Amino acid sequence: MFILPKTELPRLLESLGSGRDLYGPIYHEVSGDALFEKVEDPKAVRFDAPIPYNSPKSAIFPHFEAILRYAYDRAAKTIEMARADLVRPKALVGVRACDLTGLRCLDRFFLGQEFVDEVYRDHRRKMFVVAQTCIAPFPQCFCVCTDSGPYPAEGYDVNLTDLGDHYLFEAGSEQGTALASELGLKPAGADAAKRRDAAVDGSIAKFDPAARDDKAWISRAVNRLTTGFVKNETWEYIGGQCFECGACAYVCPTCSCFNIEDINTASGPTERLRTWDSCSFEGYSRMAGEHNPRRPIEDRRNKRFFCRLSYSQSKKYLRPGCVGCGRCARVCPGDIGLPNVVTYIRRETTGR
Amino acid sequence: MSNYTGVCNYCGTGCGHLLKVDRGAIAGVFPSPEHPVGKGRLCVRGWHIHELLNSQDRIVKPLVRNNGVLREAGWDEALAAVEAGLGRFSGQELGFWASPRSSNEDTYSLVRLARSVFRSPNVGLLSDAGHRAAARVLREGGAWPAMTGTLADIRSAGFILVVGTDLTKQNPIVASEIHFAARGGTDVLALNSRTTQMARLAKTHLRPKPGMLKTVLAAMAKILIDESRHDADFVARHTEGFDGFREAVSGVRLDDIENATGLTLEAVRDAVRRLAAAPRAMAFFAAGVSGLDGDTAALVFDLFLAAGKIGRDGCGVNPVTGISNILGASDMGASSGRSIDELLPSSPSPLKALVVVDHDEEINLAADRIRAIEFVVYLGSYANPFTDLAHVVLPTASYGETDGTYTNTERRIQLNRRKLEPRPEARPGWRIFADIAARRGQDWGYLSSGDVFADIARTVPSYAALTYDKLEKAFGGLQWPCDASRPQGTPRFLIGNAERLRFVPFEAGFGEPAPAAEYPISLVVGKSYYYWHQNNIMKKTFIPRREYNALLLLYPQGLVEVHPDDAARLGIRDKRPVRVVSARASMDVAARVTEDVRPGMAYVPYFVGPMVPGFLQVHAALVERGEDAVIPVRIEKV
Repeated sequence: MFILPKTELPRLLESLGSGRDLYGPIYHEVSGDALFEKVEDPKAVRFDAPIPYNSPKSAIFPHFEAILRYAYDRAAKTIEMARADLVRPKALVGVRACDLTGLRCLDRFFLGQEFVDEVYRDHRRKMFVVAQTCIAPFPQCFCVCTDSGPYPAEGYDVNLTDLGDHYLFEAGSEQGTALASELGLKPAGADAAKRRDAAVDGSIAKFDPAARDDKAWISRAVNRLTTGFVKNETWEYIGGQCFECGACAYVCPTCSCFNIEDINTASGPTERLRTWDSCSFEGYSRMAGEHNPRRPIEDRRNKRFFCRLSYSQSKKYLRPGCVGCGRCARVCPGDIGLPNVVTYIRRETTGR
Repeated sequence: MSNYTGVCNYCGTGCGHLLKVDRGAIAGVFPSPEHPVGKGRLCVRGWHIHELLNSQDRIVKPLVRNNGVLREAGWDEALAAVEAGLGRFSGQELGFWASPRSSNEDTYSLVRLARSVFRSPNVGLLSDAGHRAAARVLREGGAWPAMTGTLADIRSAGFILVVGTDLTKQNPIVASEIHFAARGGTDVLALNSRTTQMARLAKTHLRPKPGMLKTVLAAMAKILIDESRHDADFVARHTEGFDGFREAVSGVRLDDIENATGLTLEAVRDAVRRLAAAPRAMAFFAAGVSGLDGDTAALVFDLFLAAGKIGRDGCGVNPVTGISNILGASDMGASSGRSIDELLPSSPSPLKALVVVDHDEEINLAADRIRAIEFVVYLGSYANPFTDLAHVVLPTASYGETDGTYTNTERRIQLNRRKLEPRPEARPGWRIFADIAARRGQDWGYLSSGDVFADIARTVPSYAALTYDKLEKAFGGLQWPCDASRPQGTPRFLIGNAERLRFVPFEAGFGEPAPAAEYPISLVVGKSYYYWHQNNIMKKTFIPRREYNALLLLYPQGLVEVHPDDAARLGIRDKRPVRVVSARASMDVAARVTEDVRPGMAYVPYFVGPMVPGFLQVHAALVERGEDAVIPVRIEKV
């Protein structure tokens, strides 16, 4: 553990930004929106900005990404095929604990199974992550219920904890340790861990009492979902409010569904695009011959909550698929973000 | 910074988004949480606008038809061809078809070209029948020809009446606001013969027989007045024509209301009491792709006027525009004068030449008539079947490639800055129209879209105090009227002490259109599904195209929705072919058996293939009348 004086943060960002694309939390200069975005000027990065509206997922699993280019030569009957883009090295800074946990879920999906996604792997390999401890929650937050914050337990190169006059710099990898020595950081004192834990406890104390004191708030819903006890009327009530926009999946740090489109470019070769997709769309689960196992909206709607919360899915992620960031609730036109869904499922048993 | 603020270009809600630009291309979109309209939400269309903006399927070069074949040409040659082609005809013989998706600057310049250069009164939009009807009613009533309320007031309304339309599909974020209001305790009442998602989300759904909206509204007004629940003080101080209105609705037979409309008198009375009791009440109805006829819109206006719910804080009569800039195009004058949709169908059409901007939705309906026109110019950004009918095709810069302002349904003017360099050969519409004007000897002096906007501010009174500079500073835009006395715009229409509004007259005559025994089923035609499912713009996207195709794939030959009771009686099964027969035409489609329609009612959400010439064109005039128009039919098993 090291001490990073606050005045030294720009030097850290500059060091990371050289030779890498730098992504971090910023305020949009026109709208004032808090976003997680690629920055040209490291000074734009604001560690104290609220939890960004978009998750860092967009940096390594973008909305829209060319993954392959191919051209068929009719005469020679040959196909030329190549990866579309070279993935540039990046540094993601100011990543909050929930979002870091989200990246780990994505890792499990793209890398942790039999099939390894090469494009994602490239993004991930060339990535440096500076996480941060959330020293205060935002109104939407419930990471304390999903075991994903406010302190990021693992998966970072560096984690910074704001201790008032300085940051506590924790290296989580060799790269992180190397950065500490590059910046010439002094080791932290013997009480550093204690001060960090106090900051984390202080943060937890600021959460909504319902989230803090009733940690079973989510896990009870996990139980009901896994055992299939949720009543169909509850799903219908939830599905009836779904506007089918896809937003919940798009803002979710762990949703990994994608669509593939081959586009004939004006210049010749065909480009294969990967785009975000959502299991709540009817077309997503439609099969050949018009068969659709999840035709009614409530079936499609509940699929996402199974994926986020059921135990069978959690086994794949090695943790629940929800990281408690609260984004789906903010972006939903139907007001059926995950916290509300959990409430409706709980209401079946608790009546409140 | 790689994300740029902008306004979504699909429906008339005008949500704010952030477009991600990566190496000269649009690479993604995100809702802007701080934006005053969307507040961080987009619908399925808005979440995929980058797919359209990235489309490779563009018009890239000017094209001129020679000996029947379109071939690439330089701009000079193409513009000369346009000038010569149009110059052969008198103004009366020319038609100008503006786009409800174009910026105000483009449409203003087109209208100016039509009026001051070619002396033509024929400018139209074609997808604005609902808006024209609503605007006329509101203007006649003494209010503004647009929403009198503001979207920001939805959540604080006590009572919201949604007449017809499925806002959840047409303007999803407006519907979302209403949904949030309902969850917060607002009393939302949907009046619609179909069970739509909007109707399901409402606290109460009144489901009259199709074609009966006007009667139901008149009955509500009669009850309001009979029970003295109207705002007598407001009516006396701020309105004219109340006696005439009272007289006009007195003919509704309340004792027969259940038989005529299918609603119980008690349900209608309850609705009236709830409306009257709410200090802040709003009405919403569609005005765009689909919309109410003038009479029904007038009854909504008059009912709310009698209840004292217009011109007061938090109240409003709110037509909702279905396409991004219908209101702006109308403000620019593209929706007045003689409309193309009246001129085009008349036979022989007086139109000899047509200038069409970025259109596709009516091509199904009008292809034969357009083919008969001697000279057609098409301007657009994306490849479009319209080019097959055009003699000259001009590539325009897409909405992401040029500066422009757009006016949403609540009169909010937003400046959308260019995010990309235009394709090498594409030009902004305003510049093309100014060039044509220059060739005809008129120098407008437009060097930028800002110059055009300065001209708009000089000409359009409700835009008088607006400038690009001011719009740039006001994130999310400003609402018209914006003039010397209201320099920061006006969110809502509030009535002044001495001001008066007028009750708008409508055709009397209520009750049930006597159903002929051979045609016992009332067929209703949906226009907004037709628009969003089949327009050329949606076909350039991936996910919305796939989603909209879901329905089209299930019913490739088209569908008619029939209630299970009728289906059982007629021996019809889901997805099986049926024949829909009216007095004038018939079509073969698949049945979709659903309780979303009432017994005795049928509904067709979209038209494909032979349904268009075989049925839709025959009934076009009736369908144009509004979303509550009814075609008496019978349905046969085939």
